[in-house]
Parts: sequence; C-alpha cells; structure tokens
Amino acid sequence: MDELPPPTPPAGGDQVIAGPDGPEDAARPQTGGFGPSAAGAIAAAVLALVALGILWADGGGSIDEPWAPAWDLRLSFALDGLAALYGLLAAGVGALVFTYASAYVPRHLAADGRPREDEARLHAAMVLFLVAMVGLVTSEDLILLFVFWDLTAIASWLLIGFDRRRREARLSALMAMLVTTVTAVLILIGILMLRAEYGTTQLPELLRVAEPSTTVTVACALIAIGALAKSAQVPLHFWLPRAMAAPTPVSAYLHSAAMVAAGVFLLSRVHPLIALEPGLLDGLIVVGLLSMAVGGVLALAMDGLKQVLAYSTISQYGYVVTMLGVGGAKGAAAACFYVLAHALAKSALFMTAGAVTQATGAKALSATGGLLRKLPLLAAGSAAAAAGIAALPLTIGFFKDELFFAASAQRSTELGVAAVLAAGLTFAYMARFWAGIFLGPLRSPVRAPLERRLVWPIAGLGVLVVLGGIAVAPFAELAGDAATVTNGAPVDLHVAYHLDTRTENLMALGAWSLGLLLLAARPAYVPALAAFARLGERLGPDRLYWVSLRKLNELSDAFHDFEVRDLRSRVSSVIVPASVLVALGVIVTPTGGVYVVGAVERDDLPLVVALATCVFAAISVTIPRQHIALTLTLSGVGFSLATAYALMGGADVALVAVLVETLFALLFFGVFALVPRSVLRREARRRSPDRNRWRDGVVAVASGVIITLVVWSALSRPVPKDGMAERHVALTEVAHAKATVTAILADFRGLDTFVEITVIGVAMLIVMAAVRTRRRA
Amino acid sequence: MNLLFSVVIGALFASGVYLLLRGDLFRVVAGIVLVSNAASLTLMASGLTRGQAPILPLDEGRGLADPLVQAMTLTALVIGFAVTAVLLALSLGVYRSGRSLDLGDMTRREAEEAAEREAGELAQDVEAPEEATL
Repeated sequence: MDELPPPTPPAGGDQVIAGPDGPEDAARPQTGGFGPSAAGAIAAAVLALVALGILWADGGGSIDEPWAPAWDLRLSFALDGLAALYGLLAAGVGALVFTYASAYVPRHLAADGRPREDEARLHAAMVLFLVAMVGLVTSEDLILLFVFWDLTAIASWLLIGFDRRRREARLSALMAMLVTTVTAVLILIGILMLRAEYGTTQLPELLRVAEPSTTVTVACALIAIGALAKSAQVPLHFWLPRAMAAPTPVSAYLHSAAMVAAGVFLLSRVHPLIALEPGLLDGLIVVGLLSMAVGGVLALAMDGLKQVLAYSTISQYGYVVTMLGVGGAKGAAAACFYVLAHALAKSALFMTAGAVTQATGAKALSATGGLLRKLPLLAAGSAAAAAGIAALPLTIGFFKDELFFAASAQRSTELGVAAVLAAGLTFAYMARFWAGIFLGPLRSPVRAPLERRLVWPIAGLGVLVVLGGIAVAPFAELAGDAATVTNGAPVDLHVAYHLDTRTENLMALGAWSLGLLLLAARPAYVPALAAFARLGERLGPDRLYWVSLRKLNELSDAFHDFEVRDLRSRVSSVIVPASVLVALGVIVTPTGGVYVVGAVERDDLPLVVALATCVFAAISVTIPRQHIALTLTLSGVGFSLATAYALMGGADVALVAVLVETLFALLFFGVFALVPRSVLRREARRRSPDRNRWRDGVVAVASGVIITLVVWSALSRPVPKDGMAERHVALTEVAHAKATVTAILADFRGLDTFVEITVIGVAMLIVMAAVRTRRRA
Repeated sequence: MNLLFSVVIGALFASGVYLLLRGDLFRVVAGIVLVSNAASLTLMASGLTRGQAPILPLDEGRGLADPLVQAMTLTALVIGFAVTAVLLALSLGVYRSGRSLDLGDMTRREAEEAAEREAGELAQDVEAPEEATL
C-alpha cells in the first residue's frame, strides 16, 4: 500500500472545498463532442436495454451450459421477473447516466489537468459494471452469482478511484472495495455451507430442497451480512458517503441503480431461504430501521450536495431492507416497487448535483440557491425526482410509499409509526435539498452554460417519475413480477389513487405534515444534528475501520521487517510455522498402530554400523571450528551414507554418492582457497554467544524429534503387496539393460533425466560466472 | 529398522538445522547439505522392499531392493549437488562484495546502507517537498 490511512478521517465529507469540479474549471471552454468510448458505452447500455426488454416481453429466457462439470458448476442464467427489474434498471439508468457522463467526464478531466483520453477508462469500467450487474441478476447458480458479485466490486473500485491522483479518491475506493469484498467472503462461506448441506449451488434446486435448519440459518445470515454491506446498511454504511469522492456520473450510477441495489437484489434473490428463519427477517427489520434513522438524520445534517444524497440512499435502502424483513406478498411487492421508484429518482438527483456543480462551482447547499430561473429545465427535472423520493402524489414515489405504509401498518402499529417518522424525515431532507439549490437568494452565479447532455438525462428521468405517477400499471407489473420471485409465490401488485381516508392516505398526510414541521423547526435542532454527526465520526464504524486498517498494516510491516532482517529470521519464519503445523498434526493423529519399530535381522548389522557412523559424523559436523575439519566431517557423513546405500542394495546410488561427496569436498576446498586464510581464521575464531547456541540447539533437537516422528510414521505404513519392483526388472530386460536403476533413469524416465542434466549444466554456468567475477573486477 | 532409520534421519536433520542457524555462510551451506542428505536417506528408506541390488542377473530366492526409490535418490543427490555448488559460488560472491562471511556483519551493513539511503531521501525531500496530492 502506498499510503497510510489518515489517523482521523476528514470531517464527514462536507466538501465545500472546490476540488476538480470546483469553480476554477467552471469558466473553462467546454470540451464538447462524443468521445468514441462514450459512444461505445452508450451503445452497449442501449443494446442491453433493448435486448433485455425484448427478451422479457417475450416471456424471459435462459441459458444453461456446463462450466466445471467436476464441481457440478453450470453457467446457468435465467431472465425472471427479479432479473428483469434489476437488469432493466441497470441498463436503462445506465444508458442515461452514460449519456450524461459523455459530457461530464471531459469537463472533469480538463479541470483535473488530465488528458481527455482518460475518459475511456471510466467508460470501460462503467460498461464492465453494467455487464457484471446483468450477469449478477440473471445468475441461477450461486457460485456464478458470487463471481459477478466480486466483478462489481472490482469495477466499483476502478470507478470510485477514477481520480487516482487524489489520495482521498484512492482511500475511498479502497474502503468501498474492502468493506464489500471482505463481506463477500462471508457470502462465499454461506454459499459453500449450503453446497455442503444440499450438494448443489443451483438456486432453483436449493429453494426446492432447503428446509429450516441451523446450517441454512447461519448460511443465510452470512449471505445477508454481505448483501447489507453492499447496500450500505448500518453499521457497514460508512463507505458510501466516502465513495462520493467518485466523479458524479459514477455516483449517479453505482449509488442509485447498481452497486447498492445489488445488495437488496441478493436479499430478494435468496429471500425464500432467509424466510425459513423468522429471526433473520426480524434482524433485517432492525437493520433497515436503523439505516432509515441514521441515514435520514444525517441527510438532514449534511451540507455537501452529494453527501445529502449519499445518506439519503442509505436511508432509502433501509426502507427496502425493512420491507424485505416484513416479507410476505405485501413486503416483497413494496420492496421491489421501492427499488424501481428510488433508482429512477435518485440517479436524477445525483446528476442534478453534478450539473449544479459544473454550472456554478458550488458543491454544498450553503453555497447554492436561487437557480430556479437560471436553470429551469434542470429545476423541473430534479423537482420531479425530488418529489418522487418525497412521495408526493402524481409521481411514482407516491405509490412506493403507499405500498410501504400498507405493509408496515399491517405488520404492527409500531412499525407503522416508524414508517411515518422515516417518511417525514425523507420529505424534510428532500425538500431542503431541492429548495436549497433552486429557491432563495442566488448564492453562486452560473458561470458556464450546461450542455444539453448534462440536463436532458435528468429531465428524461423526471418525465419517467411523473409518468409512473400517472400511468403506474407497467411499472407495477414489472415490480409485481419481481416480487413474485422474491416471495416465492404469486404476488398481485395493484396500486391506484384512492381519494378516501384509508390508513395509507392518512399516514402519507401525517408524513408530509411531519416533514414540513421538521423543515420549519430545523434551526432549533441543527446543533444536535451536528453533535450526532461528530459523534458518529469519533466513535462510529468508520473510525473502527481506519484503526483496524492501520493496525493490520503495522502488523504486516512488523512481520515483514522481522522476516527480511537476516537469513536466520528468513529460515526460521519458514521452519518454525512449518514445524508447529507438523507437530500439531503429529499430536492430533491417533498413535495406535502408527508407529512400528520394525525388525532388525542379523544381516542388517553392517547397515546398523554404517548408520551409527553417519549419526556420529552428523553430530560431529556441528563441533569443529576450522573450516577444513568441517568439510572433512561433512564428507564423513556422506561416505558413511554411501556405505549405507550400498548395503541397502543401492549399488548405483552408492557409486553416485561417492562421486558427489568427492566433488563436494573438492568444491569446498576450492572455495576456501579463494578466500584469504585470515578471513577463514577470523570466522573460525568468531563464537556466537552461548545463549544463541543453546537456543539454536534446542530448536535443532526439537525439529529433529518432529522429523523423526513424521518419518517414523511414514515408514511404518503397511507395505502394499503389488510393488513395481518385479515389473521394473522385467522391463529392464526388454530395454536391453542390466541395471534396473539405470534403465529407469535412462529409458523409462529419460526426459526427466535430460532436464536434470540441463539443471546441472545451468548450475555449473552460474558457478563459473560467480567465480570469475573477481578476475574482471 | 523403521525406528533406526527415523532416528538417523532426525539426527541428520537436527545437525543440519543447527548449522543453518549459524552466522558463518559456509556452515549454512553445510547445513543445507546435511538436510538434503536427510531427505535422500528418507527416500532410500521408503523403499517397499530391501534385498539384493536390482542388477541382472538376479540370485533366485533373495529379496530385491526397490529400484524406484533408488532412481529417485539418485536424482535427488545430483540436484542437491548442483544446488550446493551454486550456494558455494554465491557465498564466495557475498564474501567478495563485503569481505566477510558473517551474516551478522551482512545485516549490519545492509541496515547502515538503508539508513544512509533514507537520510539521502530525507535530504531530498527537504529540498523539494512532495506536492500535495489531495
């Protein structure tokens, strides 16, 4: 890692400071025109949208190809209702956001002093994300789904860290990556638990056979944790406000319709499994309510445009998670419809924030205002989007809240009250956001006119939001089909305006009044909000993340420093863990019948003597100080071993051993001759402290004992009856040889021996080069 | 015999490890020779059968030594020889670059060089402070 995390994160991210999209670039000449990569990205998104739309209108479709048959993995994709909802959202919102990006990114790059060609990196990563998202939502196999899940994490890392020269962007990308991939490992563990239990990772199969059990509960809990982290739910929400360091199109795409949506998508996908354990559903409600509260309150506290939207996203996905926790037909319907309505409106709002910053250079609510007359189309489009989030009538958002209220009130009165409170908060911060930009006195003048591509996608989404409020049927149908998959049973999603005093309408009225009240009373509780935000910074999970990251880094540095200190610590960092592992293995292995002493016959006496000599020589090698004596005792070991080999019937081995030992002795002596005598004498006189020698002796004896036990247990294994010896001897005759070992080396494994000879040749070249260096120097 | 072989192999390995932990480079090389000797003996001892050398013609009625492990051991011995030769040549190179065969000296010298390098970099930093990246 090329940087350490800062000890304290910069304050909650109120980026009033002008960064790359700051005022200095507002006056720059526009860098118009489509880049080729932008055009390609838009074409890809439109193509995906059309293909998915046609397929879906055609009644779905599926692909099923073998992938890794040995592991029973299949490349199986299917376009069901849930996949259609999320896939169409990813492609449709993607097409609009990519169009927006084609105008936004060149300006962004120019402001940062980077070449325009860099935009290809962003578009490529965006398309990668789109592909990963479509793959994710259509995967039938959980392992396949996991692969796409990680692919989205990689793409998001590339996208959030797009401004790679800025430390803040790099750290934010790392944080998003770590939070979502570390929890992704939990998902993988959950998937493998399910596989171990039911022998399959095919989701339809799993849904059919799974029954309530501890394994399923734990597996689902692990999967849910990973999904909640991806959807930025409390307490793993802190990466999302940080990820606002990304260029605005990235936020508009990833943090409204794609990356955060992937989390709730996974929850929806495995919902029938989660629903087997009611406790898990209750957990989802708790997390969802917490996220609604924390996100809503902080959205009301924040000043940065994108910060408000980031906390709003946390809160809005809290709604969805709560609905998934409520479950049943109503919960599933509310969750799916909510995702649809939110994604349309929220990406428009993110793009609004970027457009406002591009036009005026202002990045915070305190620096903007009164833009209604200056940017009327932008104001209209974002007004529709904001009204959609705030759930005003005549927008698609009204129905999302209607379903939400109905499901909550049906579950319990308490949840109904919480729903109204949350909706009130949402109304308040949305009204504050839009009014803060477009109403009031003009704080930052418009310095650069906005290109059409920076405004029209917002207007288009605004039209969709309003359209959904007037003719809701197609949207409801799409969400209803998705809810059917989530619920595991048919869901009849039907919404319409009712001009009566039913509960949902009363709850909506209550929420709006509460929102207006919150907005009016805001000055009274602003200090409390600020205190809450500060508390979160000081004690929140964000802080925990930085501390643990720094500690992990220090630990890794400490290990590294120890390991590379000298040869001894390198050797011991291999030998010690290996010995501990082996020793543990020896200890936990049952000893009955593992160790067989083995018979010693009278004929073996010479062999015993040779081996005893070998042991004696081996111990003697450790004693002498003079290098000559060291070499001679080493040769003693080698020659006694050669004798032992000969006595064991290994004539060829013995011959080679004698040859090699002789060469060893000559090599050692030759090298000694090249080192001045005085140096050798100095080394011989040098004595390591007694303490070290004792320590090393203990280490040596301990490892010797472990090796003895391991080798002993290996040698004690029963001998199989059908050895290869006879066959080898028979083949020797066929090969016209006399010595079987020679036949094996030269004939049966000739190629192996050839490579071995090559190794010797290379080694000799190295030796020559090393010895000759001095002559040149 | 199983126990006997195991003890001999253990003794070879223990002596090898002790030498590996010495400060003198040549002793480290000797330690590696001992450890590879232990490995070779393990291979030889793991033969399924023992008896006469597998060289034709065979005596009837006597057991046959497993030829496969012998071929393996042979390969191990030769490769071990090549490795040791390279290690010795490298030790010589180390001696020539630092005029010492002691690992402690080598570590100290490395640390000094690193400290000098760092000091040099610091001095550079003072002259040209890194531009703020944030």
